[in-house]
Amino acid sequence: MEQQNFLKNKTIPKTIEEQLAPRMHDDDKLLFVIVCDLTAKANYGVSALAVTRTRYIAVDEELDGGVLEGNIGDIENASVKRMYGNSQLRITKKDGTKEIPLRFTYSVATLCDMAASFLNAVSGGEDIDEQIGIVEATYEKLLCVCPRCGRRLLRPGAECINCASKGKIVKKLMKYVKPEAPRLIICLILSALSTFLALIPPYITKHLVDEILPERNSRQLIVVVVILGCSYLIGVTVNIIRNYVLRVSSDRMIKALRNDVYRHAQMLPMKFYDKTSTGSVINRISGDTATINGFVLRLSQDVIVQFFMLVGIILIMFFMDWKLTLLSLAPVPLVVLGAKWFGRKIAPFYRRIWRRWAAVTSVLTDSIPCIRVVKSFTGEKRAVKRFEKYNEEWYNVDIQSARITTAFPAIISFVITCGSLLIWAVGGHWVIAGAGISAGLLVSFISYTTMFYGPVNFFAYLNDSYQQALASVERVFDILDAEPEVSVASHETLPEIKGKIEFKNVNFSFDRTKKVLSDINLTIEPGDIVGIVGTTGSGKTTLINLLMRFYDNYEGEILIDGKNIRDLDLEYYRGQIGYVQQEAMLFRDTVFNNIAYSKPDASVEEVIHAADVANAHEFIARQPDGYDTMLGERGIGLSGGEKQRISIARAVLKNPSVMIFDEATASVDSETENLIQEAIERLISGRTTIMIAHRLSTLRKANKIIVVDQGKIIENGSHEELMALQGKYYRLVEIQSMSEKVRASKEQENFD
Amino acid sequence: MDRIYIDGDEARFEIREIPRLDVYFYNGNVIEDVEPRRLFPVSGGNKYVTLLDKDNKERAVIRDVSRLIPESRKIVEKCLEEYYMIPRILRMVDRTEKFGILKWTVETERGIVTFTIQNRHSDIKIFYDGRVLVRDSNDNRYEIPDYRKLDRTSQNLLGYDL
Repeated sequence: MEQQNFLKNKTIPKTIEEQLAPRMHDDDKLLFVIVCDLTAKANYGVSALAVTRTRYIAVDEELDGGVLEGNIGDIENASVKRMYGNSQLRITKKDGTKEIPLRFTYSVATLCDMAASFLNAVSGGEDIDEQIGIVEATYEKLLCVCPRCGRRLLRPGAECINCASKGKIVKKLMKYVKPEAPRLIICLILSALSTFLALIPPYITKHLVDEILPERNSRQLIVVVVILGCSYLIGVTVNIIRNYVLRVSSDRMIKALRNDVYRHAQMLPMKFYDKTSTGSVINRISGDTATINGFVLRLSQDVIVQFFMLVGIILIMFFMDWKLTLLSLAPVPLVVLGAKWFGRKIAPFYRRIWRRWAAVTSVLTDSIPCIRVVKSFTGEKRAVKRFEKYNEEWYNVDIQSARITTAFPAIISFVITCGSLLIWAVGGHWVIAGAGISAGLLVSFISYTTMFYGPVNFFAYLNDSYQQALASVERVFDILDAEPEVSVASHETLPEIKGKIEFKNVNFSFDRTKKVLSDINLTIEPGDIVGIVGTTGSGKTTLINLLMRFYDNYEGEILIDGKNIRDLDLEYYRGQIGYVQQEAMLFRDTVFNNIAYSKPDASVEEVIHAADVANAHEFIARQPDGYDTMLGERGIGLSGGEKQRISIARAVLKNPSVMIFDEATASVDSETENLIQEAIERLISGRTTIMIAHRLSTLRKANKIIVVDQGKIIENGSHEELMALQGKYYRLVEIQSMSEKVRASKEQENFD
Repeated sequence: MDRIYIDGDEARFEIREIPRLDVYFYNGNVIEDVEPRRLFPVSGGNKYVTLLDKDNKERAVIRDVSRLIPESRKIVEKCLEEYYMIPRILRMVDRTEKFGILKWTVETERGIVTFTIQNRHSDIKIFYDGRVLVRDSNDNRYEIPDYRKLDRTSQNLLGYDL
């Protein structure tokens, strides 16, 4: 068994292996093993399902005899029953008997789903090698943890930042640090100067106390005071210059990093956004880049400065008196350990405060934007009561945490003071006893001791900020390292696009585990108006996504005017297609700029004409600011239909060869639908047009209708042909004409 | 639409194939092959249990399982127990955190288990009576009936996340 090459989700426990080994035959290759986490009676434990080319073997000590074995060929149906917090693999055999070979938590449910599909497919006579491809893809998809440290990765196959060599991370970050090297070096020099200047005053204090004051030397006193004043003045000036230069290079670094991340984010394929929320990408560009920048500065500046400060102070202290130095170092372990302990103790309090505060803000974000609902249901008093309750809880937790947050820094400072007291006590005794230590040296020593704890604290907290920065580095480099859209590099174009579109044997699946489109063969002639209909989730939009080249990893070919779309320049190709979506996406910009987005160099009259064609000009002209109306601002709320007409105007201006409408009129009333429909009809004349429509009445102009169901084209023809066929399309039309009648009469009623 | 509520002794339940059952009303009506599901699995326990047929259509609702006749109550409870697995956490064995992801090892009435929690804010819910509901990164659920009654070590470990 060990020698065989089979798939497994984790190391197979010895007890399972002992049961499986004697059941393996050389002529029946083991394909995969799923190690599960529950026993038959729903207790935590180990169980497993092993599948060979012809058999399945379940191992679980709570099964009768510990093992359940069967032939795949005997299976009538295998399914996964998903329950609450646990699932079962259920098998019905051809002789009618039923068995439950496996119980498991959701942790392995995806694998068991795959196993059930595999068993069904193989028992149904499908090609076993093709099925193994799906099995491999499912296992691969689940390899979302680092094999070395077990840490969950952002996506399958992503590099684990925890295990990546630190040198590699530094090398990646150096790209942004290098251009700033001259400025950073200047900052370092200035920092060294500033540190040096900071170390002078305590040293001078020694002379002041030991020599100048006892000797009552006024002249020297003035000289020393002037020197001290100058050193402070120079120190302040140096710090101002240093902080400014540092801010400049910091801003330049963060600017470069943000530009890079944003540029990459724009070029990433849709499949990246399928797995990563847009909010998360925005956070990475705004928040994580700032965290990284802060940490880079900490590493490139503060670590060096604080280190030299620490070494400098210790050297001076040793130079002054080694015995007192050792004495002053005594509280260091206490301070370091205390800072660590405090960090650990205070974190839960911050979390608790955050939790309670989140509850308070959730009441705010719920009730303030929904104030109309609150008022209409006279819920004001309830809202106030709820808010006060959560606010009270926040108050209680905050007060609790205040005890530790206020006490601890005071305790630490007390420990440091105790260190100083110790030096005062011992050192003072030595001064009085005349043991070779002067009063000035003691005063100066105390000053250095206080300064010494700054760098100590800095290094005590460094690891925490390192861990925090590392998480940000991972998220940012996930974008920077991701592959951009494939053929951005191709520059091939066509002299003119007539609009003939062909799908040839197209198959597609998002993650290879389930086919979303199967055997799509379709020819659309130039100027055709094609309607795509089908129930939700049937694959209509996916078909359009492939045509738009949002995904390129499909099998088969999609041709435009006989040319494979994958061979065309992506920018050029998308430039030939006008795409109007169900939800009109408008930018926070003027109406003019929103329309001109598709053609930035469009003249004013071109934009007005486009708006006119889209039935948008009239309502735009009615706005006080006309085409200068800022969208998204207070009071400028356009209706869904108006927004849609602006997005159609955008498509008109683009003057594309191919038009795609993805349920463009799905969320508007009948009257607006007519206005939009009118605009669409003007727009599509003479162009190849593809319309996805939920409302079949919008397809009245279509000369070809395609019915998609479960990823396959099941009907294809004109409206009349499909009605005569009395298939799926016929049934959809029947259902809709009934609901349309109801809708029309309701609208009429409302109008009356 | 009239909903059939089952209050107590007007119906008898018989097991079909766990977790499916048949309901025989004393007025002669029969509902066959239904599966009980909690309408309030988080807050309501065994109150308001819906009975769904094979097409997931509701056929009746049990108002309170504890008020059924004892044999029927046992049958319904057995079906619910089979369907719902929310292990009760008896003790915290270990808790670690790295990069914001929590790893808990806990002792439950079904044995010891280790799981990860992706988001401590949304995946750990604390109720006012001390009850804590936890969802792991694979969507499995766990429950602490009252975290204030756990041993000192467990409370200390939980203190980081609650």
